[in-house]
Amino acid sequence: MMNHQVTKAPSSGKLSLLLGVLLSWWLILGASAAPPREVIANALVAEDVAEQAKLVGSLAGQADPLIPQLLAKWKESEIYIYEPTEPAGPKVAVLFVGEKDADDKFAAVRVDTGEPLKDKDGKPMRLTTDEATSADTDANLRLAMKVVLDLIAVADPDPAKRLKVVQQMGLDQDLEKLPALEVRVAGEPDAKVQRALKEAIALLQLKSEDPAKQIAAAKTLATLGSIPAQDALKTVAREGSPPVAAAANAALAEIAKHLQLVNTYGTVFRGLSLGSVLLVIAIGLAITFGLMGVINMAHGELIAVGAYTTYMVQNVFGPGLALSPFGMKLHLPGFGATGAAYDAYFIAALPLSFLMAALVGLVLERGIIQFLYRRPLESLLATWGVSLVMQQLLRLTFGANNVQVDSPAWLSGNWTFFDVIFGWNRVFVIGFAIAIIVGTHLLLTKTHLGLLIRAVMQNRQMAACMGVPTERVNMLTFAFGSGLAGLAGAFLSQLGNVGPGMGQDHIVGAFMTVVVGGVGSIFGTVISALGIGVVDQSFQQILGNPVLGKILVLGGIILFLQWKPAGLFVTKSRSLEG
Amino acid sequence: MSRKPMLLAAEGVNKSFAGFKAINDLNFYLEEGELRTVIGPNGAGKTSFLDLITGRTKPDTGSIKWEEETELTHLSEYEIFRLGIGRKFQTPTVYTDHTVFENLVLSLEGSRGVFASIFGKLRRLERERIFDILKTINLTAKAEWKAGALAHGQKQWLEIGMLLAQNAKLLLVDEPAAGMTDEETHRTGELLLSLAGEHTIVVIEHDMVFVRQIAAGRKVTVLHQGSVLCEGPVDEVQNDERVIEVYLGRKHRHD
Amino acid sequence: MMTPFPPPTPKEILARLEIFLICAGSLLLVVFLPLLNISGTIDNYTLNLWGKYLCYGILAISVDLLWGYTGLLSLGQALFFSLGGYMMGMYLMRMIGSLGQYKKPMPDFLVFLGWTELPTFWKPFDSFLFAAIMIVLLPSIIALVFGYLAFRSRIKGVYFSILTQALTYAAALMFFRNDMLMGGNNGFTDFKFILGQNLREPATQRGLYIATAVLTVGAFLICRWLTKTKFGLVQRAIRDSETRVLFSGYAAANYKLFVFVLCAVLAALGGALYVPQVGIINPSEMWPDKSLEAVVWCAVGGRGTLVGPIIGAVSVNALKSWATTEYPDLWLILLGGLFILVVLFLPKGIVGIPGMIAGAFKRAPKEEAPAEPAAAEPIVKTEAEA
Repeated sequence: MMNHQVTKAPSSGKLSLLLGVLLSWWLILGASAAPPREVIANALVAEDVAEQAKLVGSLAGQADPLIPQLLAKWKESEIYIYEPTEPAGPKVAVLFVGEKDADDKFAAVRVDTGEPLKDKDGKPMRLTTDEATSADTDANLRLAMKVVLDLIAVADPDPAKRLKVVQQMGLDQDLEKLPALEVRVAGEPDAKVQRALKEAIALLQLKSEDPAKQIAAAKTLATLGSIPAQDALKTVAREGSPPVAAAANAALAEIAKHLQLVNTYGTVFRGLSLGSVLLVIAIGLAITFGLMGVINMAHGELIAVGAYTTYMVQNVFGPGLALSPFGMKLHLPGFGATGAAYDAYFIAALPLSFLMAALVGLVLERGIIQFLYRRPLESLLATWGVSLVMQQLLRLTFGANNVQVDSPAWLSGNWTFFDVIFGWNRVFVIGFAIAIIVGTHLLLTKTHLGLLIRAVMQNRQMAACMGVPTERVNMLTFAFGSGLAGLAGAFLSQLGNVGPGMGQDHIVGAFMTVVVGGVGSIFGTVISALGIGVVDQSFQQILGNPVLGKILVLGGIILFLQWKPAGLFVTKSRSLEG
Repeated sequence: MSRKPMLLAAEGVNKSFAGFKAINDLNFYLEEGELRTVIGPNGAGKTSFLDLITGRTKPDTGSIKWEEETELTHLSEYEIFRLGIGRKFQTPTVYTDHTVFENLVLSLEGSRGVFASIFGKLRRLERERIFDILKTINLTAKAEWKAGALAHGQKQWLEIGMLLAQNAKLLLVDEPAAGMTDEETHRTGELLLSLAGEHTIVVIEHDMVFVRQIAAGRKVTVLHQGSVLCEGPVDEVQNDERVIEVYLGRKHRHD
Repeated sequence: MMTPFPPPTPKEILARLEIFLICAGSLLLVVFLPLLNISGTIDNYTLNLWGKYLCYGILAISVDLLWGYTGLLSLGQALFFSLGGYMMGMYLMRMIGSLGQYKKPMPDFLVFLGWTELPTFWKPFDSFLFAAIMIVLLPSIIALVFGYLAFRSRIKGVYFSILTQALTYAAALMFFRNDMLMGGNNGFTDFKFILGQNLREPATQRGLYIATAVLTVGAFLICRWLTKTKFGLVQRAIRDSETRVLFSGYAAANYKLFVFVLCAVLAALGGALYVPQVGIINPSEMWPDKSLEAVVWCAVGGRGTLVGPIIGAVSVNALKSWATTEYPDLWLILLGGLFILVVLFLPKGIVGIPGMIAGAFKRAPKEEAPAEPAAAEPIVKTEAEA
């Protein structure tokens, strides 16, 4: 690997030599017994510049934080060489510390030991700047320093930090960083960082003056599918000699292919997560609208109830909350928890959001909806009235502005795989949606309540005749659907804004999801939500515009209903009499 | 040999609902001017068959030809209606919020277009026709009543009146006597008999007294499990062993 | 048997009373209110307010003709109202000329977006005639296409409502975008002239009011006539039992399409007169809420009647004007509560109150509110509607 390296550097030959030395040091890591500060002190007082470079280079691969500090001071000419005169002694490298005194003297500290410089009597010495000469550096030495420093930077014990540094080095297009990268790549244990190193090296080599190296670099970037390299490759494709430009273009095409793949996976993932959000919102509707035939326009506000419950629970875990509904002063005391204990609020918020929304749903069903079964248009209108009232109540209680809901630490990270970023919150939503669907399915098919629900949904009168307490079943079903809306609200609080009007942003989409899936079919709702999510994200990806995408999806749904007016999955029933 | 033109010919018709075969390879032929009675136990596919003829549902396979050339399965309900096929539903289906008179206006033969309905006027002849029908169905005194306020039997009559107003070539009459008194039933039978010849009529019925009244000397079709079990004169059919087994055996329970 | 049903006298009296009331109401709106304004009894602000209410009244009539008479609850009527308003707004924007803030001969927001020349589709709006044609044409075309698709696939009941809501939602999203070149968020405002008249002049506003009153009365009369023809019979038949209508040989879809387009045009005309009177149009006017509000007016006034929507629009909006200044925080609660109460206890609205009172005193023949399709009805039913 010696011979296809650095090109544009002060003196290529010397550098190769230097690298050779560095590398040998690197490979026999730990062989250097002398502490770094002594090595630096020795280098400082060395007579020969080559010796100096060699000594500095020997530090390569060490991570002592003193190294960058001392080398920086050296470069800034802030280290002085003092040659004791009486008695005459070897040169000593010193640092001046503290303030100048009346005689223009500073306290001096030895570089090699970090102890104050002492005279023959063992008393700390004070020196003026004239009594010592400042240590200077030449180009070669500075290069050696840089390599050492860069290597320290890329040797951070945290792989994530290392990765960032390496990626930045590649993008900075600073050729002087090349040696450090090349040294590091040989010993890097982490696969991801290893890949980033290769990518960064190739990126830098693109700037090489040797066409062969440029072409090789372009090929490497192509195999790596390096997305950040696109700009650099484009430059080379424009400015390079024909064969290099050709290689760059080929690499660009390869990367574009890779990018498309990454985008497709990313789109599918985002689509699935959006679909899961839709699903969590729509599943409650699928129950109240699909199974019970009640058009609940206040479903969106039940979502808001869930989100605000999460907000309150968060504040109870944290600093407490002051509310002023209708001019009253209410104060919710908080536990004042922090860290993981505070983050646990979300776990507590989930069941509470469900219960709170279910409770509100129960009141709604008893107060209004029970009078409007079989009058779907009127239940639509009355519940819209409810939605207005609830929105305003939320506004009066919590204020008209959005409130701040913090994401627990365990929901706010992400995970990159194959260049696709997977946000934990999104992954969580997908998992959560699955859990809700499975739970709902089990409730409907495996429990006694589910049996009653299905009986009432299929034939209310018949069920009533068979002694099913239809009123109670209706009540519980509606409360269950409402509770699911509350859960959806808890989730949305992690993904978007929590405000009094938040329900309105989701209600239209949720209704469309249920209609497309086929009213009365939970399975249809699942397919439809995921389908709409993926299609929505694809449109967004293709058009580069979320609003246009949304509009197209709505248009698409209208057209879809032309083809299947009853939605994807219809529960067909045969006619009255055979 | 010259034969009468076939008014309606259903061949190889199949229709299933969620796995249940409501109509199973049904073949049914109707000549012009016939009064055909269709009987069969519950679930035999009688009403489903009418649904298929009138375009309410589409068959999975098979064809239903009108006047030997028009394929009914490709048309929608109102197009089929406009060919001259009228239907009286099993449960009386009238416009409950409209008056009796308005129900008949809506059913009267004539243009069904949007603009004709806006700018057209009810002509004197049409008005007289409606009065005639009102007399026939004995509802003259209740012409301004809302149809929803009528008794069940009267609704049946009104729907028959609507069928008359339409002056259809083929009348599909689904259980006309249900909910009527014996006397009303008898009068219904007479009315249907008086229409026979001029119109082609298919009557679906359960009431065997009524069937014997209108089907005397005519062909009766027995449906069973979505296909034709047998066909023939009423007496012959009544004595058919298969029919007795599947249908009459159960029927005499409430005879 | 000369006249089989001699019309009972009380009925005739009622019919005459109705005609008298219609004439009196029309005169009041078209002639007396403007006269009172000229004489100074009614100030300009109040007359302008009435103009606004009546525009809403026209919108409410369009909702009612669809919902009360045909059973189509459109939750997208505000879209057509706004489209009419936007078409008028484009004309009004052009009439500003170079008097905008940027002193350029085109709308300020276009200058702001960096346009140096007027986009082509804006150019014909210099002509009032063209704008007037577009006010009718654009909503008709959209209603025609959407209605054709929806009715062809027999989307009805709540499905129709949800779809119309989605339509207006999609349109609102579109109009919020700046690159639609329709003013984005802010829409159009700062109008100055209409047909050469200064919009700030009371006389101009009075003229607009009279035009609105005439249109309201006209819309009322046309709808009244329409509902009394055979078309009206079919319309109500569709509302009560669409399937049966098909078996009476009517292509219900065509009838519904006709009503839908007609109502779109009505709403658009209302919107076109609304914009010069309030001086602004923006996408929030087509937000789903606005359509629902129009449904409230209709329900409060009394659906299935034609005065009901006008009474509802005027009274609810008068209440709104009062409540939003006196109790701004409580207005929405009031509106929502009003709606819940009307749906639960007053299905026939204000217009139905006298009947309810009369019914309480004597046992009147049972008349029920228009029936609605049964709950959770699949879009295509396989069962007999009976």
